[in-house]
Amino acid sequence: MEKGEMYVGWSTKDDVRKRGGSGGLVTSMLAAALEKKLVDAVVVLKKINEFEAVPIITSDINEVLNSAGSLHSVPSHFAKLIANKNLKVALPAKGCDVRGIIEQGKRNAINLENTFIVGLNCGGSMHPVVTREMLEVMYKIKPEDVHGEEIEKGKLIFETKDGKKNAITIDELEEKGYGRRESCRYCTIKIPTNSDIACGNWGVTGDLVGKATFVEINSEKGARLLQNAVDAGYIQIQKPDEKGVAMRAKIKGVMEGLGQKWKEKIFVPMDNRLEYFRKELEHCIDCGACKTVCPTCSCGDVSKCTEYHSRGDAYKMSMYHLVRFLHLGDACIGCGQCSDVCPVDIPLTRLYRRFANPIQQELKYEPGMDMQKPPYFEVKLNE
Amino acid sequence: MSDNIYSTICPGCNFGCGLYIRENGSLDVDFRKSSPANAGKLCRFGMSLPKFFNPAKSMIDGVETTMEEAAKEAAKRISASKGSVAFLSLGNTSNEELLAFQKIAESYLCTGVNFEALPKDTYQTISIGIPYNEIEAAKHIVLFIDPYEQYPLIVRRLLLAKTKGAKITAVWWKDLMLADENIRPDDISKLALTQDSIIISDFHPLSDTEQVKNVLSLAKNAGAKVTFLKPFANSTGEYIISKDTKQKSLAQLIDDINKGTIKTLFALESDIAALIPSDTLSKLTNLIIQAGQASSTKANIVIAHDPLYKKKGTVINNEGRVQTLGGAGTNGLEALGIIAGSKFDFNTLHESIKKTIGITAVDEFTIPKYDRPAYGAIQAAPKPVEKKPALIDVYNPFMWFDLADDNDFVELNLNTVRALKLLKGGTLKIKSNGSALEKKFKVAPVQDNVLLTGKSMGIEKGIITPVEISR
Repeated sequence: MEKGEMYVGWSTKDDVRKRGGSGGLVTSMLAAALEKKLVDAVVVLKKINEFEAVPIITSDINEVLNSAGSLHSVPSHFAKLIANKNLKVALPAKGCDVRGIIEQGKRNAINLENTFIVGLNCGGSMHPVVTREMLEVMYKIKPEDVHGEEIEKGKLIFETKDGKKNAITIDELEEKGYGRRESCRYCTIKIPTNSDIACGNWGVTGDLVGKATFVEINSEKGARLLQNAVDAGYIQIQKPDEKGVAMRAKIKGVMEGLGQKWKEKIFVPMDNRLEYFRKELEHCIDCGACKTVCPTCSCGDVSKCTEYHSRGDAYKMSMYHLVRFLHLGDACIGCGQCSDVCPVDIPLTRLYRRFANPIQQELKYEPGMDMQKPPYFEVKLNE
Repeated sequence: MSDNIYSTICPGCNFGCGLYIRENGSLDVDFRKSSPANAGKLCRFGMSLPKFFNPAKSMIDGVETTMEEAAKEAAKRISASKGSVAFLSLGNTSNEELLAFQKIAESYLCTGVNFEALPKDTYQTISIGIPYNEIEAAKHIVLFIDPYEQYPLIVRRLLLAKTKGAKITAVWWKDLMLADENIRPDDISKLALTQDSIIISDFHPLSDTEQVKNVLSLAKNAGAKVTFLKPFANSTGEYIISKDTKQKSLAQLIDDINKGTIKTLFALESDIAALIPSDTLSKLTNLIIQAGQASSTKANIVIAHDPLYKKKGTVINNEGRVQTLGGAGTNGLEALGIIAGSKFDFNTLHESIKKTIGITAVDEFTIPKYDRPAYGAIQAAPKPVEKKPALIDVYNPFMWFDLADDNDFVELNLNTVRALKLLKGGTLKIKSNGSALEKKFKVAPVQDNVLLTGKSMGIEKGIITPVEISR
């Protein structure tokens, strides 16, 4: 196996195949990595209910095999979870997870040689509290009655315990303020080609629809991970048909195009930007959650944004935010975590992206997509 | 390797913020985005929890011991001091522990607040607040708190209410950013309330009961709703459980210790150093503390039990929402059982709590239906603030007391800065009750002659302390 090859595969374990998403290939690949000691630990989601799962780092194969699979209403992020732990680890990762992990790698907080990144195709995730409200307001169903969820042909479908499928188009939901988190709407990384191996259901055809995963090997590590799972008897794979490969490429193109449209819709040019930023930040309570959760920040407790800032200052915009804007100019990956955790609902990702979009475009630099050094890391000394 | 993860509730106040505590060598806070009270969002205190959860060690007279031995020794000393023992719990632990504690404490229970000074028919209104989504849907919201400093997670609810058209009036010593109208407490006569108004105030051990009565009276006269936010993780549960029990106020407890009628104090999960003067505490023969985290207060006996996030049990938030703590630990109940002389059964206590609340199962997504009885007319006589400099303590949560924070400044207005010729980056001298200190200051839209502090300085006498200020 080598970089660039594509396969369709599924778990050989019946229960994993039935419970896991798309044939349980990712779960089984992670379990095999653990069993064959390719890694010491694996990150998985431990499911609490349809709208809650908690990421755990585990060396227990059973815990991996019993993990949650993919949940759209669990917008977690794994980069900070494995940072500074010196782990030999394998983990599933959405595009933004992958980007955060790579940026932590550039900052020496994660050893990428020891990190096996299983990329997951991602059309976006939803905030669980918003999802619960959406179910009651838009679907007229009780969240407790939901048994499963899926996205198909632009529709978000919730299956209730009585077996009924309830579908509404994502466009309609998002028009009403529900659906995906804002940052997911304008994200353009739908197939994480920056991971070691990219996995998802796009491109699975015929009888295998819903029962298999399409994989693309992006690195030597990705090849090792897949081969290891095959050799361990955890998965079966076969070559995809041409139709599937074409279909996957088409979906990717359409999804990326939609993301680009959202980007243009949200980031319309504005006058008086300073006043806009001041207004948006005026309710900040200095909790520091946006820094703590930021998957590209690796400064720790002592950092410029916190050291230059004092709650006793009476500036109209705090030094904390000013320094963060500068730091994130070439580092923000638009994952949305900062907006998710802001206790006063400041749309922080949108603010950071307003700084980052023109900078990253000008510098032709996309953080987390490869190992290119961040432009602001470069220091040229005068001769 | 496998993480120990606890889905729990923040102990910082009674807002009921859900979060994960992750134990993996170190302690980390993780955001529980599905939590109905806070959607995973946390304030500065919540983000500081790894520092707060500094494990306690069981001790007898300064010598480390086991929890069981400490509890046995506590039982002995409590028994020997019969008639001069007081029991204090501010509401920082599970309902089940509080119920057990109350059974032990029947002779002298203090929950820190002064219910005795308030009309009995207002207990329920004070104890159980209004659901946050009702606040979001309000047409007019009146704040008798500084939400940014005291209960930060209410800010987003207020901002959401504003986007839906609500008008926000702040009755506060400082202009609040989110308020459409700012009224100083001295100008309360300018406040116009209607049946569409929701008043948000707070109720805690330092609350001026006349001011609480005043707020209740304003609401009553206008037909407005009122909700009291509270500072301890399970204040609401504490008040529900103890509502029919004779209680002593904190002032009474301090007085009784000073008089020598109380010689032994048993405090359960209560940050007493923040509320009881050290010279009063020094008069006790025995100070017994049962807690889940270390405290700077020097106690004769420390009974170290599980921290809140490891406990089994329930708490009730400001809205009346019943939430589970997420752990499996019951050693707090075991210790209380040793002191009581008979074991407490968790399940029996839990069932009793459910019966009291009127629920059959704990479901954090459904707020139980509580009676919200009307209360009668109230006579209130709030003291007017004197027209001379006063230090006003707005800090919360109380548990900041032992934690390092960057709140070490006072807020004052530009008039005061100019009158005193204070220099930018300089300090302000504050004198009160024979104590003097120097503090950094921050210019803010604060009322003339008022200093606001978000950090206890040790010179305060209640919420409002007259002070002399100079350069």
